[in-house]
Amino acid sequence: MTIDATMVGRSYTAAGSYQVGREKIREFADAIGDGNPAYRGADPIAPPTFAFVIGSRALEELLGDAELGLRLDRIVHGAQKFSYTRPIKAGDEIAATATITTVRKAGPVEVIMYETALTTVDGEPIATSTSTLSHNRADT
Amino acid sequence: MSLAGTELPPLTVTFKRDDLVRYAGASGDFNSIHWSDRMAAALGLPGVIAHGMLTMASAVRVVTDWLDDPADLVEYGVRFTNMIPVPDDDQGATSRIDGEEIFSSDAWVGHWGPRKCDEQKANSPAISRLSGQLVAVPTPPAHG
Repeated sequence: MTIDATMVGRSYTAAGSYQVGREKIREFADAIGDGNPAYRGADPIAPPTFAFVIGSRALEELLGDAELGLRLDRIVHGAQKFSYTRPIKAGDEIAATATITTVRKAGPVEVIMYETALTTVDGEPIATSTSTLSHNRADT
Repeated sequence: MSLAGTELPPLTVTFKRDDLVRYAGASGDFNSIHWSDRMAAALGLPGVIAHGMLTMASAVRVVTDWLDDPADLVEYGVRFTNMIPVPDDDQGATSRIDGEEIFSSDAWVGHWGPRKCDEQKANSPAISRLSGQLVAVPTPPAHG
């Protein structure tokens, strides 16, 4: 099967919540080369793009839906946006759910937009990630 | 006092192979196109390329470095238009991210595209909260 517009609205929740730790925040800040003290110390917030790391767990579920017929090696990240209600911080326990919002076809390429909602396990909104992917089905 | 027209300082970033390895570990993105020349070539890429999200993290620094507190960032987006190949040498790949009028920043960010790699810069609108006020994003200026 292949992804199409009838699959808009499908939702995928990450298996289990993500516990945000200060050591991982520091490791991530080091990896992106950002020395901002806000990401270090005893009570750090996470750098903005860390939201994608947490959201990726929901993306895994989406890519695992056999009915979409998506292959990781045919996927390109086209665009990415984040909206924050508040920063992610060490100690947060975060649930992620990705929902397909649009599917367009341009020849063999499917352009897929999905939104990932990050909330605490109690349902407090933290951030929304809006992602655009291109999936190239040529030669399949 | 209006902040419109304030220029954000530009940023120059260099990625070397070990930076991509470090980012793969920190982010959990172990896609082999970001560390294996063999796998990158098999997919038609010019070589190992930087993770798009790593380049986005660099681009957003133009804004968060300028903000007193990165917690004031409310919204940030990019489009990925160019690849950033990272050679396996001591020089790596250097990119310049221009600081534009508040709050827009232009960034060279990378991804591999299906058969096309245009020269267009990605526009990265940002919205930030300053002193409790939401400061809206003007349309980023076009680039020639």
